[in-house]
Amino acid sequence: MPLFDYSLLLTGQYHDMLVAGLLLSLQLLAASLLLALPIALVVALLRLSPVAPLRWLGFAYVESIRNIPLLAHMLFWYFGAPELLPEGIKQWLYAGHIEAYSAIIALALYTAAFMAEDIRSGIRAIPTVQFEAGRALGFGFMGTMRRVVLPQALRVTVPPLISQTLSLWKNTSIATVIGVAELMYQAGQVESATFRSFESFAFASAAYLTVSLAITGLATWYHHRFPVRTI
Amino acid sequence: MRLNFIAAALAASALFTGIAAQADQLADIKKKGELVVGVLGTDEPATFIDPKTRQIVGYEVDLVNAIARKIGVKPVLKQIAVAARIPELQQGHVDLVAAGLTHNKEREAQIDFSLTTFVTGQKAIVKKDSGITDVPQLAGKKVLTIRGGTQEPNIRKAVPTAEVVTFDTSQQAFQALQQGKGVGYVDDEAALLRSYAKLGPQKAKYVVLKQNLSTEALAIGIKKGESGLKAVVDETLRELEKSGEAQKIFVKWYGPNTASGFQTRDFKLESDKID
Repeated sequence: MPLFDYSLLLTGQYHDMLVAGLLLSLQLLAASLLLALPIALVVALLRLSPVAPLRWLGFAYVESIRNIPLLAHMLFWYFGAPELLPEGIKQWLYAGHIEAYSAIIALALYTAAFMAEDIRSGIRAIPTVQFEAGRALGFGFMGTMRRVVLPQALRVTVPPLISQTLSLWKNTSIATVIGVAELMYQAGQVESATFRSFESFAFASAAYLTVSLAITGLATWYHHRFPVRTI
Repeated sequence: MRLNFIAAALAASALFTGIAAQADQLADIKKKGELVVGVLGTDEPATFIDPKTRQIVGYEVDLVNAIARKIGVKPVLKQIAVAARIPELQQGHVDLVAAGLTHNKEREAQIDFSLTTFVTGQKAIVKKDSGITDVPQLAGKKVLTIRGGTQEPNIRKAVPTAEVVTFDTSQQAFQALQQGKGVGYVDDEAALLRSYAKLGPQKAKYVVLKQNLSTEALAIGIKKGESGLKAVVDETLRELEKSGEAQKIFVKWYGPNTASGFQTRDFKLESDKID
């Protein structure tokens, strides 16, 4: 019996399962990232809004999401929330990939709360005179944001956002608990079928590490290519 | 999953320590005067804690006691988690594993198995209004089950086009069935019937499909290459079968007067070969 059986990872049924898991994890990452970014931007703007109730709304969103573990979010969006929907929609949803949808919603809302805080910090890093200058030129709140503040702020924000993407990538593994057949799930399945724990989790760890390093590399590259302009 | 990772690390270290210790395990067991057996302790009626005596009892416990008697040592039961079964065995923390362990070809590379000690069927339960009355009708449908066991590979084998979704516990999977997130739920017959019984008046809405998805051969796990220990385990089981004791133990835990309610015993303790 070889100590470490590479063949298991390179070909055959178990290889296919692990690769399918990796692909699904990457899809979860892409879908939840695309959903999280606009939500995060809206929430950040809510938190900076001149209208008090809007600020409270943004505050409530960030704090209520950030202070509950992702695991609880995941279980809620799978077992809890869909049960509140009308019967017809529920039936339709349950017939499809409800597991993956729930996971994407949980991941996106969770990540958006953190990203919103990063974007808000980025906006606050831009000196207020810039905002005042925009207003002096006759732009409204949204106009000043869009034309003057955000273009500068987003450049400051990209490195922390990439770091949140790294967290998001690792957090996709929690989707296992609601039966999404992502990488960690498949590694568990291969382990239980073969008892080759070391090989299956080595594959998963290597895959997480590789993608994480790629994301980190992206952050470093961005930082060099587009340094924050001295304000 | 973090637990699994620890199990993986344990397994890895077991692989390395396993090479160093080459002594005969049977001799060691006789020397220390006890046979340490890993059991689940949560798997009624195979191994579970008697609410009155607080002792672990059950079908697998009776078999293990017979083996210890045969060797002439005291049986010591140690509760272990599903994922820790093989690492604990490989590391030598337990001498045997009697923990609802399915004997399959893939696992033969890692450990040895005793004669088959139990044969169980896996079955599916569906909602009556789904109109499904037969296993092949699950084709293309979403089927729910527990993760980490042989349920998932078996449903895939029986109905390759079924979309299988698995959960950490059978309770979660069964909950998903009740919420309508799948049309069927698959589990070992004994476990399935227990979940079904818990439904109470709701039972009328569900049907247990008659056909078996698969037959599972359960066996006692033995560390790879310990032929002396395997010989004495197998011999004990053969003797139990011959004396009629095996039949009695089966009826005591699974027979018609138990919650499992098996009318017949369709297997014998006679072979360690699987299909």
